[in-house]
Amino acid sequence: MIRAEQLVKRFGAVPALDGVSFAVAPGEILGFLGPNGAGKSTALRILSGWLPPTRGRAAIAGHDLVTASLRARASVGYLPENFAAPTEMRVGEYLRYRAELKGMPPPAARARAAAAAQEFGLGERWRQPFGTLSKGFRQRVGLADALLADPPALLLDEPFSGLDPIQRQEFKQILRDLARRGKAILFSSHVLPEVQDLVSRVLILHQGRAAAAGTLAELQQRLRASAPLRVLPAAPADAEALRALASAHGFALLREDPDGAVLLNAGPVANRPALLRALAARGVEILEFHTLQPDLEQIFLLLLQGRAA
Amino acid sequence: MRPFLAQFKRELRGFFLSPYVFVLLGFWYLLNGFFFAYLLRSPAIQNDLTLLPPYLFGNGLLVWLLLPAFPPLLALRLLAEEQRLGTLETLLTAPVRDAAVVLAKYLAACVFFLLFWAGVLALFVLLAAHGAILDWGRVLCGFAGAALVSFLFLATGLWASSWSGNLVLAAGGGAALNYLLLFVPALLLEAPGTLGALARGAHLPDFLDRAFAAGLLDSYAIAFHLVLAGLFLFLTWLRLAARRMLA
Repeated sequence: MIRAEQLVKRFGAVPALDGVSFAVAPGEILGFLGPNGAGKSTALRILSGWLPPTRGRAAIAGHDLVTASLRARASVGYLPENFAAPTEMRVGEYLRYRAELKGMPPPAARARAAAAAQEFGLGERWRQPFGTLSKGFRQRVGLADALLADPPALLLDEPFSGLDPIQRQEFKQILRDLARRGKAILFSSHVLPEVQDLVSRVLILHQGRAAAAGTLAELQQRLRASAPLRVLPAAPADAEALRALASAHGFALLREDPDGAVLLNAGPVANRPALLRALAARGVEILEFHTLQPDLEQIFLLLLQGRAA
Repeated sequence: MRPFLAQFKRELRGFFLSPYVFVLLGFWYLLNGFFFAYLLRSPAIQNDLTLLPPYLFGNGLLVWLLLPAFPPLLALRLLAEEQRLGTLETLLTAPVRDAAVVLAKYLAACVFFLLFWAGVLALFVLLAAHGAILDWGRVLCGFAGAALVSFLFLATGLWASSWSGNLVLAAGGGAALNYLLLFVPALLLEAPGTLGALARGAHLPDFLDRAFAAGLLDSYAIAFHLVLAGLFLFLTWLRLAARRMLA
């Protein structure tokens, strides 16, 4: 439904995107993650038809964004990062205008705008000027706008920014419902814990390139070998011996937790049994010895640290 | 057609909801009202009311002093304001052609600008209501000519409005272009050869003074204005389309 092939975008000599490819199927939510300046917004702007790619191809529902831009734009709803509407326009008036702009005849536009306002909890704000809305309600107007024409694909740039926790949960539920209705959803975010329970797959961008892609489980599996090791001695007094033995076996101390656990770097995986044996030989009783299951934020950091290294 | 109409309605409504537009309109009416009252005191005008349309719609000082500046002040909200607010991205990623956006914005501004001239036209209605005998052909042709020049100045204003989100640049750039269109041919009227001929063929005050306000619908003048306005509209479209096309 949403397809990008070897997308390259340069601003002058600066590459914002450098050969990124991905696809989003109907009913799928792809999380586009990356630090600021990674190229997330640029990719979304290309897919929305706002910017052309320098090289590569982007298509929505089979329509190329460059050669069939109008049809591609008719197949996608786009919520830009800083969604804005004319400040003097009332919510209902704006949604009606946008529905007509997307080709609906006025009576249908009126009905669709009212339905969208109801769906996104904007019924009571119908007559309120956009300029007086809170950030959360502005985002709702943006999402309602993106969905007015019931497009099969949705592009959302940082949809959670500025939302309070309750609004975030509501927003996530809306996105889940939309995915269940078969929409292909691509959204960018750097609020990683917020997207962990939402996405079907993630694509991590770094310096305009795809650093990793896959489901959360796939990424966890891939990074298990480089994930930190948590070791909890039975007696706090053994922490010193633990640190010394870990160091002798090639593990570096990352931090000590308040419960007495020691967090070691991944170190040489082959040395882990030897470390365990050495600890036993020294009489250090161990309550926990395991690799930390990296969450999305840790995966993100591990990948970026790995890239930087 | 629907997206065009939706955008046209939205722009027209936007003008009616913008307080600063009404400040402009009020200022325009006030100055024209003073000028009208001043002219009526002139014995020459009192003797021959047919001199009035050329002053109010043609070669009057206010026309040439104010007219180049007012349309860009109106046009700045069409694209520069959209860029400043960040609403242009939402507009141009909707399934609507760039040309339809440009035309809808331009035509809405043209329709709204007729209100500026309608106020001046109302002064003639007021005169007629007080028993003055007017040559309505001259009055209405003068109105049409003034509207035509305004439409040209709105086109340059719209192009200047597309340059960036800087409102001062949009208004200043548009006004500067209009003053250039007005005064460069005037400075070259006496130039020898082709240059002088070109300047005489592009001298806007002549169109108003000798044609429209004299009661003539000059097809050359109409074509000149429309072609030049079309050129600036094309440049505006190019500015929007280039963003989508230039990789």
